[in-house]
Amino acid sequence: MSDILLIARNHLLIALRERITLFWFLIFPVFLLIILFFIFGQIGQEKEISFDITLVNLDSEGAGAFSGIVETVFDGLARAQSSDKEALFRLRKPEPGENVDAFLESELLAVRRGRRTAVILIPEGFDRRIESQLVPTPAPSDSHPESELALMIYFSEGTATSGMAVSIIGQVLAGVDREILSRGGRFDPAAAIPAKTTWVGSESGQTAYIDFLLPGIILMGLFTNGLFGVPGAILFSRDQRVLRRYWVTPLTVPRFLAGMSIGHIALSALQFGILFSIGRFALGATVSFASPVAVLLLLLATATFMAFGFLIASVSKTANSGMAIANILNMPMMFLSGLFFPIAGLPAFVKAIVFVNPVSYLADGLRSHLGVDSGIFPTALVLAVPLAWIALSSGVAAWRLRWDVGR
Amino acid sequence: MTAFRALLRTEAAILLRDKATVFFTFLFPFIFIVIFGFLMGNVDRPTARLGLIETTGSAPPVPRDLLESSGVDEVRDYEATETLWTAVRNRTVDFGLIWNGETLEFLYHPSRVQENYAFQQIASGISDAVNLRVQGLEPVLPVVRRHVGTEASTRWFNQMVPGIIAFSILASGLFAVSGHLTAMKERRTLDRLLVTPMPPVALLAAMAVVRLVVVYLSTLITLFASIAIFDLAFSIDWLAYTLLVGCATLGMMGLGTVIALIVRRPSSAGNVANVLAMVMMFLSGIYFPIEFMPRFLRTLSLALPLRHLADGMRFATGVNDMSPVRFWLIVLAFLTGALILFPVLARYVVRPQRT
Repeated sequence: MSDILLIARNHLLIALRERITLFWFLIFPVFLLIILFFIFGQIGQEKEISFDITLVNLDSEGAGAFSGIVETVFDGLARAQSSDKEALFRLRKPEPGENVDAFLESELLAVRRGRRTAVILIPEGFDRRIESQLVPTPAPSDSHPESELALMIYFSEGTATSGMAVSIIGQVLAGVDREILSRGGRFDPAAAIPAKTTWVGSESGQTAYIDFLLPGIILMGLFTNGLFGVPGAILFSRDQRVLRRYWVTPLTVPRFLAGMSIGHIALSALQFGILFSIGRFALGATVSFASPVAVLLLLLATATFMAFGFLIASVSKTANSGMAIANILNMPMMFLSGLFFPIAGLPAFVKAIVFVNPVSYLADGLRSHLGVDSGIFPTALVLAVPLAWIALSSGVAAWRLRWDVGR
Repeated sequence: MTAFRALLRTEAAILLRDKATVFFTFLFPFIFIVIFGFLMGNVDRPTARLGLIETTGSAPPVPRDLLESSGVDEVRDYEATETLWTAVRNRTVDFGLIWNGETLEFLYHPSRVQENYAFQQIASGISDAVNLRVQGLEPVLPVVRRHVGTEASTRWFNQMVPGIIAFSILASGLFAVSGHLTAMKERRTLDRLLVTPMPPVALLAAMAVVRLVVVYLSTLITLFASIAIFDLAFSIDWLAYTLLVGCATLGMMGLGTVIALIVRRPSSAGNVANVLAMVMMFLSGIYFPIEFMPRFLRTLSLALPLRHLADGMRFATGVNDMSPVRFWLIVLAFLTGALILFPVLARYVVRPQRT
């Protein structure tokens, strides 16, 4: 027994002493957790993002009643509601006496170059147009075409924040629209239809992004741990003839494997503990893994990815080729599994990869059990597919894995 | 000159014989494009399928033109609430609407955390429009949205392709020198070359020329694959593109030379290059819009060469606009980096191993 534990201890210590191992097993998952939390956790949380927009009001000829309402609303949204939150918009307007045409031109260029998210232009004659709509009167002979009197929103479709800013501006303007119609006595706010939001199957509302993300990152950590750690440990030891030295001792291959597996599970447990603690205490995750099923699924994931590592080690001639194979498999398996991105809209031939990928089933099963997703695979498949991969990988490894360079 | 030609031939043969390098140079960016094209091609504009139940009685039904103009791609009618709930839960539809003449009830799947924002925006538009329509009104505030970005900048995926190309240039440049030179050192082939009259810079120059050709071809394959498979449109300024790819490859090779200087083993050099590439990839807005990052990370990204390379590549492919002065400064910075790093580092990197 002591030899098995010694091998386990060695495996753990070697992994922790290698700076590169520490990076991939601990620093990279933590880095990804924080980056994705900051990026996707903010989508839809308007109070967390501030948009740089520009408002130009060219309608100086009328009384400014309606264009004034638009300006007032955006001025209000450009003021921070509290000291710890930024205002929704950082608003720019031409300075008094500034050449408005030149200002507009430079702001449109700023949108084009991504420095501004949108420019709102209130055209000349805008108030008259609104008035004529509220109280229909014959159009004067010098009237502008209708499209020229529309409120313009200039944006850049390919820029994510620009598209988001336009959606929000659209909502704000819909509110202004109702306000104008109310003031004109045409829209009855009392008769407004309330909109209600229902989260299907959830009383607590939408799943917090961090609760959705954390199980995915933990699985990704276990996955990279198995994919790179196991073949790395075997192949580099084999290439550097370390394994050969083991075989001149009474240590047998099964006992070496048992020790290595215990060391790998200990490393994975450490990795889980660190990721969970950061997710829970630094990023506010509430998801709990303290259930027998969750532990079972995490152990199944560790075993599946470890077996996968053995499979890679068994088909690789050298450590470098093993790392290359792991690198090739890493991205497709990680991204085509639903760990980070929705996989519903994928074409059939790409979905085929999703369906043979054990990560898809483990991610789906774990998230479903933790209550952060409804799950698309039946429980039987969640267990059967990873188990099939364990059987296949172990079978190939038992048949092909060389334990010594010379043998 | 004959010796240089021989070095060129040797470097080309070494590169083409190395299956892993060929894979990572030519096929890996292609695989990235295919995976991310299907995965994130519609991430900024997910298809919206609405499940609808109308139990309106005397109230008018929700006009279909209004749903379409609000951004709904497909409407499926349901009779019972349970069926609609199941459809939302099973993702047969993306979100649901129950309209009973008094309330608009929108149903969402609580776990679709990355997509629900888009569906809620559409729902908000439907709600606004129905409110007016029910009172017999049309919007009085005429709003026209106009895209003022470049013609090629209409989808996030258009931005991503030049980013992936930039990343492949970074990876190729970094690994070319760091991995290759450290491997030569380890196998002692460098020592043998150095007893010949070959100047150290000649070896780096041969590596650079071969790598330039290979990287340029690889970027073209990636670019045309994305055009052919995903029907993307680019407006490529070939002079700017060629100069940027060339100078950036050299600049990244210069960075790789720095790694070769500080790391001895090829596996360690590969690891350091890999770590650098990964960190830069996530902080330079290659896969995720940089604008969503916190301010300190956006500021940090300005210090990363990949951020500027990706921006420059988006400009050269007509996806994004930037000041021409900034673009040429980026090109010049990469070229200067290479011209300074190569000869200086060649003295320290391409030298015999101490035994």
